[in-house]
Amino acid sequence: MLTVDNLYAGYGASEVLLGTSLAVKQGTVVALIGPNGAGKTTTMRTISGLLKPTRGEVRIDGRKVEGMDASRIARLGLAHAPEGRKVFGPLSVEDNLLLGAYSSLPKFFGFRGKAAHDLDRIYELFPRLRERRLQSAGTLSGGEQQMLAIGRALMANPKVMLMDEPSMGLAPVIVEEVFATIRRLKEAGITLLLVEQMAKRALEVADYAYVMERGRIVVEGKPAELQKDERVLSAYLGDVAAAG
Amino acid sequence: MLKRLVLILGAEALLLVVLAAIPMAVNNSFVLGLLTLLTIYGILLIGLDITVGYLGQINLAQAAFLGLGAYTAALAVTRFGCGMLTALLAAAAVGCLFGAALSFPALRLEGPQFALSTLSFMALTTIALNEWESLTGGAQGLQVPRPHLFGVVLEAKGFYWLCLLLLVCVWIAMRNLLSSQWGRAFEALRDSPIATDAMGIGTLRNKAAAFTLGSGLGGLAGGLYAFNFQYLQPQVFVYDLMIILLLGVVLGGRKSLWGAFVGATIIVLLPNLLSNRLLFQVFSGIGFLLALAAGVRGLVRKSTRPFQAVAPVVAMGMLVVGGIFTANTEDWRKAIFALMLFAVMVGLPEGLMGFAARFLTRLFRIAPPALPEPAALDAVLVKKETDDRPLLELLELKHYFGGVRAVDGVTLTVRSGRIHGLIGPNGSGKSTLVNVISGLYAPTSGEILLHGKPLVKGSLFKVALRGLSRTFQNLQLFSELTALDNVMVAMKEIYRSPLPLVLLGLTRGNERRARAESLALLEMVGLKGESRVPAKDLPYGAQRFLEIARALARRPDLLILDEPAAGLAQPDVNRLLEIIRRIHERGITIILIEHHMAVVSELCDIVTVLDYGKIIAEGKPDEIKRHPKVIEAYLGGTVEPLDQQNSGQGNAVPVPA
Amino acid sequence: MECPGRERNGTMNESVVAQMVVSGALMGLVYALIAYGFQLTFATSKSINFGQGELVMVSAFICLTFTNLGLPYGIMVPLGLLCGSLLGLFVERAGVRLALEQKSEGWILLTIIIGLLFFSVSENIWGRDDRPFPTPIPSDAIQLFGISVTPVEISVAAGVFFIMGIIELFKRKTLLGKAFEAVSADRDAAELMGISATRTVTLSYALSGMVAALAGILVAPITTVGPTMASALVLKAFSVAVVAGLDSGFGVVVIGLFLGALESLTSYYVGSGWREAPGLILLILALAVRPTGVFGKALIRKV
Repeated sequence: MLTVDNLYAGYGASEVLLGTSLAVKQGTVVALIGPNGAGKTTTMRTISGLLKPTRGEVRIDGRKVEGMDASRIARLGLAHAPEGRKVFGPLSVEDNLLLGAYSSLPKFFGFRGKAAHDLDRIYELFPRLRERRLQSAGTLSGGEQQMLAIGRALMANPKVMLMDEPSMGLAPVIVEEVFATIRRLKEAGITLLLVEQMAKRALEVADYAYVMERGRIVVEGKPAELQKDERVLSAYLGDVAAAG
Repeated sequence: MLKRLVLILGAEALLLVVLAAIPMAVNNSFVLGLLTLLTIYGILLIGLDITVGYLGQINLAQAAFLGLGAYTAALAVTRFGCGMLTALLAAAAVGCLFGAALSFPALRLEGPQFALSTLSFMALTTIALNEWESLTGGAQGLQVPRPHLFGVVLEAKGFYWLCLLLLVCVWIAMRNLLSSQWGRAFEALRDSPIATDAMGIGTLRNKAAAFTLGSGLGGLAGGLYAFNFQYLQPQVFVYDLMIILLLGVVLGGRKSLWGAFVGATIIVLLPNLLSNRLLFQVFSGIGFLLALAAGVRGLVRKSTRPFQAVAPVVAMGMLVVGGIFTANTEDWRKAIFALMLFAVMVGLPEGLMGFAARFLTRLFRIAPPALPEPAALDAVLVKKETDDRPLLELLELKHYFGGVRAVDGVTLTVRSGRIHGLIGPNGSGKSTLVNVISGLYAPTSGEILLHGKPLVKGSLFKVALRGLSRTFQNLQLFSELTALDNVMVAMKEIYRSPLPLVLLGLTRGNERRARAESLALLEMVGLKGESRVPAKDLPYGAQRFLEIARALARRPDLLILDEPAAGLAQPDVNRLLEIIRRIHERGITIILIEHHMAVVSELCDIVTVLDYGKIIAEGKPDEIKRHPKVIEAYLGGTVEPLDQQNSGQGNAVPVPA
Repeated sequence: MECPGRERNGTMNESVVAQMVVSGALMGLVYALIAYGFQLTFATSKSINFGQGELVMVSAFICLTFTNLGLPYGIMVPLGLLCGSLLGLFVERAGVRLALEQKSEGWILLTIIIGLLFFSVSENIWGRDDRPFPTPIPSDAIQLFGISVTPVEISVAAGVFFIMGIIELFKRKTLLGKAFEAVSADRDAAELMGISATRTVTLSYALSGMVAALAGILVAPITTVGPTMASALVLKAFSVAVVAGLDSGFGVVVIGLFLGALESLTSYYVGSGWREAPGLILLILALAVRPTGVFGKALIRKV
């Protein structure tokens, strides 16, 4: 569904991605893990078009999308719940969700009716959001904002979803909830590329995983295999693991 | 070296001789008038270039300073009977005074707000000159006799030479200033005001100095203007003039004395160009062809965006077509200015001189000036005695962003001579903590002590002056400046030279020393060979090292390194370790924020772990690595810590979270 | 300094002051409307059109031409608004987009330049003289609570509130409007939702141009139409936008009313030549004391 081939990208003079390749098959959850600064978020930003690659190829559902504007790629069926959540603070929770489905809704009137079904679906998944649907998104707690960011991405009924560090800055209980949600989405058959610094948790939920280091994929495989791989432990955890 | 001197100084000397000699060769009052105006505009534009070019701010008030200077000089003569020199001094002083007064509110602002406040000042001045009739004569105008200079009556020629002499003085003084620490600081401000503050260069005071100086030159030019025309009317000093002045600076080329001069020449000649239809057609035709050639070349090489290539051609094309069809080009003066300025802004943003300088440097293969030998590192970073006493103490420090508790009650002691690690997962508050310590944010509550004394809160600049220096997680280099200049900027406070001496060019010794010492620091981080490369063109790793060298130029007691290894490849990480060790050997205390455990355990004497804005553990690196809370924070969830069984808990101090 | 107000002091009374305040405040609404145009583009792109005054003026001239061609008021107004939007689009395309792409502040100079071009073109097409602007709205004063106001002045107030209301409704009630707000809140996140930020900026310039055109149509019967009709207006609109803050629609109305009243009093007491002065001083002071404006949000410095 999503393939990334030999991708190079960076900010100004500094190249962050040095030939990243990965693939996400339909209906699978794929985890991308690695230390800080490895280029995970940059990979996500390049796939979704916020950053233009200098070389390489990104395909969604077989269609080449690299170099397009992010808004165009989003309309082609990619949803991205970005790092740091990035909800629209001044807008209400419901408006945030409606904007998630922006490309498929009428732009002036009648969009609420058309989106009602999808809204219900999201509110079922996150009942807390229904309670706060008229509150402005900026006043939500970190965990609720994360739910909103995920819900907003789901509103588009995307072909592929990217989720960047959904656990960042959240308390352990909330992290637990977020991962429970991801598991539910997985059961519902979502196609998901998940970037996560909590490697262990990410590997628990994923069907397949890539380990990234300094702009390249260094190891890949099924989570069960990776969990035993010495290289993964040292790459990701530094010598926390090696110390013992 | 010699070639460089001969070519640059030679060109300037030649220009001066030609300008001085013309009135002797040509006895034509019209030409003399143009030349006088050229020198006056030259001074005015050099002043304007300080803000527009060096500070990079759109200044819409220079015409106001010209007006203020002109009326001041006029009133000094008519009301107080001052001589020429006194009147000119008064004009410059009034320019400086109003410039300083405007600079404090205006220069806290950036971009559009700055432009707006100067625009308002411009409009206010026009109103005042028009309405304050008892002083200025209002719309009626004001007659100004040309006063004597030391008892000598100045005829047109004499006055022209005086103007030329002043232009030469201004030119030399500005060249001294702009090639000194001041000039570098001005340029650094444009690239990163945050970093200039963090490097102990007061952003506001330097901006104010630059703006005041530029305004003073505006005032001086105004004084000359008054004595040149001997009649003043407020309608001259209006917005339209301002646009023409900007046209001069942009067209001539920003950040260049020659550019200002070329710009002045253009705006002096423009009215004559416009009044002659044939001449105008020829020039617009040439402009069109140039734009076309540049546009096609840009498109073929794909070096410019299509808009950048096409728009100037369209604008110049309109000039050509307009030149053929309009009967009177004078009526379309403003449109012509607009189209020319538009074409240059879009197609040739560096201006004529910027382009010519690049071209000439290549043509004559002018080598950059030679660099001195680096100073001895021991002399630059004198080894400090360390005593293991508390250097930095944080007491219950808190910082909230709205409801988010980024730093939530941190109490921490950093001892002198240590490398103190600060780690924690993403979003744990590490960066916010150092931003609070270094003064970027004022803490919500809590105390910070340095050397046992309370540290100023919420001012990067003042904290920097207390001996704390830092790098930034997202690099804050002065990207347009060379590597060497980046380091030299940070030495400004160390080689503080009084402005008058700088203007007279008497501080070259300091300049040489600062250069040698900066080179020593660059050598230490392995960048001596790249000292002339603009920071933005350095590879990523080198940029990180350059930031460290720049921070060291402050000779700090405490150095904060904010994720220096982020994004570095392994060889660079090793180099970084080596650099940090060498800094530590000099007795500089270091706070090292890191995500990589490996770097931290390699270097640090003590490590503090943050999570959710609170300290969850503190201890030696070995102990920290085995601390269950730390493992949990890094791995997430309540997973059994890896290798827990055979390591035991060590004796790290668990802190209640 | 001479004070023309002084000799009238004897006959001055409260109702005169009230009269000045009301008619000044009504004029202030025009400043508020132009300032609102600045806010629209600032919200999406952090840029404003420094040549907005020329859009006001050119639109007024175009409407005058339409009227002279015999078009009825009801058709002339929408046509005028359309032309205003098109001019706004032109400004965005020629002066703003490139600079925003390059993340430079070149748009400040470029919009000034485009304004200058408009100015010169209009003074050559329509001449430099001020011309009356015919309007079907009567200009005979009527008395309201002892204060005389003209229907033209009332139409100004009505028009300002009407268009601002419509645009605010558009922003809150339509999905496109919400997208507009999303781009101002977080440009990248909006792009991820499939909202094109570039197009939103373009749209904001079109709206801003439309607002400028309406300001021109509303104010022209009072000021007459001429190349310089908006140069003073726009300065005061800058003041209003900056003093109120570039993100508060409510703020511009309040500050606009206040400034309008203030300058009407200034011109009465100090002299008509000084009427622009309070706005300009307010602007510099506001920038010095509170750069984000009285009603604006504080900024967080980021590294």
